Parts: sequence; structure tokens; C-alpha cells
Amino acid sequence: MSRRNAGESLTVIRLAPDAIIKVLTTFIDATIMARSHPVQPDDDLELAGLDSMALLKILLFIEAEYGFWMPDEDLVEENIRTVRALATYISRRRSES
Amino acid sequence: MQALWRREKISNNTLMVVECDGPLDPARIRRALDGFLEICPWPVARLRRPFPWGKLHWAAGRRAVPGSLPLLHQRVDSPKLLHTMLEAELNAAIDPRREPPLRVSILYSPGGRDAVRTFLVFTWFHPLMDPRGAQNLLAHLAHIDQADGRAPWDGAPPAFVPEPDPRPLSVRGRMGRRSRAYMRALAPTPPVSPGSGVTTPGRARFLQASFVYRDPAGGRAKREICWRLALVGKAMAELWSRRGFPDEPFLLPISVDLRPKGDPGPTFGNMLAFHFARFRPSETADLAGLTLTLRRQMVEALRDGQIDANAVAMEFLTYRPLSLMLNDLPGTAARETFSFNCADLGDFPGSLEQLFGARVIDAYHAPSVLPRPGIGVFFNRCGKENNLVVSWIDGAVSEDEVTRIVEVIRAEMDWIEAH
Repeated sequence: MSRRNAGESLTVIRLAPDAIIKVLTTFIDATIMARSHPVQPDDDLELAGLDSMALLKILLFIEAEYGFWMPDEDLVEENIRTVRALATYISRRRSES
Repeated sequence: MQALWRREKISNNTLMVVECDGPLDPARIRRALDGFLEICPWPVARLRRPFPWGKLHWAAGRRAVPGSLPLLHQRVDSPKLLHTMLEAELNAAIDPRREPPLRVSILYSPGGRDAVRTFLVFTWFHPLMDPRGAQNLLAHLAHIDQADGRAPWDGAPPAFVPEPDPRPLSVRGRMGRRSRAYMRALAPTPPVSPGSGVTTPGRARFLQASFVYRDPAGGRAKREICWRLALVGKAMAELWSRRGFPDEPFLLPISVDLRPKGDPGPTFGNMLAFHFARFRPSETADLAGLTLTLRRQMVEALRDGQIDANAVAMEFLTYRPLSLMLNDLPGTAARETFSFNCADLGDFPGSLEQLFGARVIDAYHAPSVLPRPGIGVFFNRCGKENNLVVSWIDGAVSEDEVTRIVEVIRAEMDWIEAH
């Protein structure tokens, strides 16, 4: 990693995939899933019951929380299949910008 | 029901057909039904309006009389006869003021060279429950069957109806009004539908076909509702072109299941909100581009809170005639509703693989559509089978036109016949 000042380091720590996973699962469990069925980071979201509308809710949350809209070309299975995949994508996008 | 057809006894029935690989014992199913009615009387309720005025509501006694739910057990000798009987069920309109809003049938084919096939059929008055609710009801019956005399759910049954919205009436009223204003602004001109010219409604018909993906790994992206909607739009645009209909925007409702994911959720009552998709037939020439457009529409509706607002507006409309909803839609004066119906009813629950001692081979839903729009396309999945059901009204479209619609969808899905 190149040299960063203290503020940038803090941003990198805050956007580590594990932290993003926690934020995303908290949102999904609170607004989309039944209380008895919390999602795990590696759960297949479609198999967990999430439909197209639920995915769009997650994308809107990502926009509000992380400040960018996931472009259509990035809505591919490897980026959206699990919470971990989403978190990895968000982390990568943020570190690129 | 559309006001235009008020005196025509138009069916609001919906079917759920569950195909099993062996016989189903009617006595066993009767026991499960009666056991369920002891706990939950809604399947034998009546739709009532208090005299002299008041809200329409379901009314039922605390305990239902055993055997009060109709259960038909009948042999069918051919697939053609089976289909004729299913269409008859779809057309035998249930009057929920005077009879139970649910009928159950067991239709069985004889043994012989072919294995015995049994079809468990639920026919219900559509506003009683949605397709997912019917699947939940079946799961409850299977649970009671497996409880084998013990107290089902250990004496603590799940909630069968949704919790009332805890928000104050003033807040809900504001949201409902907002949704109505949004609906009025949806389309600048009334939509056109195949049923636009229908003056005397014909019989409700349906065609069901089962497919599997040619490439089993290729199906995931094609399950997105926006892509499917664009595809159905393409099939409809072909019909529009043959009929010489103008390139006016399609307007159609897309149901949004409000149940929390991962849990069956409530069985009876409304658990759906609606999003309204709009696009021109000519836009279907670019399926990928149209998919993006429809996704953006859905995002905007979510961002603006229109789907939440519609859920509230639906609550105010509960069990009232569809004509009240139409007051807020473009084209009401011409009695138009939507251009066509389309829904993906999701997966038949894997937990219902075994049912009353038989194995489930396939299951699908066939809702009747109103004379306007006169046609609807419905997807669902059961195991590896992808079911496509097209419901229509005779006179609005022909069987040949429906067959062509199925073929356009099959080809783009890259499906092959399942059987």
C-alpha cells in the first residue's frame, strides 16, 4: 500500500470487507429477512429468498451508505451472489476511487 | 371486479395445481382440512359488509363445522379431460358472500401402463389469499397431516393473517393519497389491451407448459423480474403488431411480495404491493436496454417510497371492487385496466416435496384474468421445472396467439420441454 495520511488509513480500515459485511447483514436482517432467518456472509442470497426487488433495496442502501450506485454492468453473479461478494465489491470500488 | 362486468358473474378464481406421483387419500386430506379449520376458520369464511354500511370483511365463526369445506374426489381419464376440468374450476365463479371462498379437489388418473398421477387442486376467490398464501395453506395442511393426532405446532400455531399496520391512520392516509396521485400520473393516455374490444366476456382459459434450461447453469440472470418483464413485453409487442395496435406505452402492475424473506409469512389477506411498469412495444426490440429501463423505473419507485405507499393504498382497498382502484388509473372512463398481467410467482417450497404420502412432481398457479386486459403471463418454478402459464379470456386472444406467446418466451429463455 502506498503512503497514506491518518485520515485515509482510517477510511481503509472502516471499509474493510468484514466491516462492510457487518453493515450489510445488519441492514438485510432488519429490513428484508424474517427475524428467524438471518443471513450469513456466505449465504446465497437468492436461495435465502431474496428477489429482484430485495436486491434493488440493497443497492439503494449501498448508494446511501457508501455513496455510489452499482452500475448495471457490475450486477453480475460474482458481485451480488452473497453478502461477502457484495462487500468485496464495495471495498474494491472504494479503494479504486 | 370491473364495473363493466358487474352482472356477468366474472370469475375471480385462482387455481393451484399440485401434481403428485401417487394416489392421495381423500380421507387423509379431509382430516387435515378439518384439523386446520378447528384452528383457523378463514377458508370457510364469508365476505360480508355490515348493514347499512361498513367495510367489507371476512366473517367466520370461532369453530368451523367439520366437512364444511368442499372436497371433490374424481377420476380423470386423459390429460385433455384434466385440462377441461381445471378450466371449468377456473370458470365456476365463487361467490364469497354465499359459499366458502376455497374449494379443494383431488383429480386422479387411472393406473395401468402409466403410473398413477394425482392432482391436488385448490380453487379460491382471489382476494382470499395470494399464490404464496395458497402454498402456505398447503404447508399447514401437510404439517397437520404429519402431526398425526398430536397438537400441531405444539399448540402454538403461526399467524395466519398479517399484523395490522401500526402507523397512525393520518400517516397511512397521507401515504395512500400520495400513491393515488402517483397512479393518476402514471400514463398520459389510457393503455390498450387485447381485451379492449371485448364487449361480452368469454370463458377464462389457460395454457400451462413446463420447461428446463438447455444449459442448466444459464438460468440465473434470466430469473430477474425486469428481464422477464421485458421478454413478455416482446412477446406482447408481436401480438400488438399483428393486431395493428398503436405504439402506446404498455402499463402493467408488478406484484411485490411484502412478506419477510426466509419465512412463510401470513397465509390469508393481502401481502402484495404493486409497482407499475411502463414501456412502449417498440422498446422491446432491445431486450437488454429495456431491462435496464425497467430496473431504473423500479429503483425510482423504491427511492420515492411509492411501493410502500402502494402497500398502504392497497390496505384501504382491501376486498373492495377493483373499479375503485381503477378510479385512479388512466383510462378508467374507457374501462381499461392494464395492457396485460405478468408475475413471477417464485419457487414452490422445497419443503413440500412430499405431500400426504406422495411425491410432488410439479406445481403451478393459474389465475383467471379479467376481460380487460384479457391476458396474463405467469412464471413459477418447482424443482428443476420452469412453469409458464398463460391465462386469457376467449375473445380477447386466440389459442394460436397464446401458443405463439409461449414460443417467443421459450426461445428467448433457451428452454426445452421438460417432459
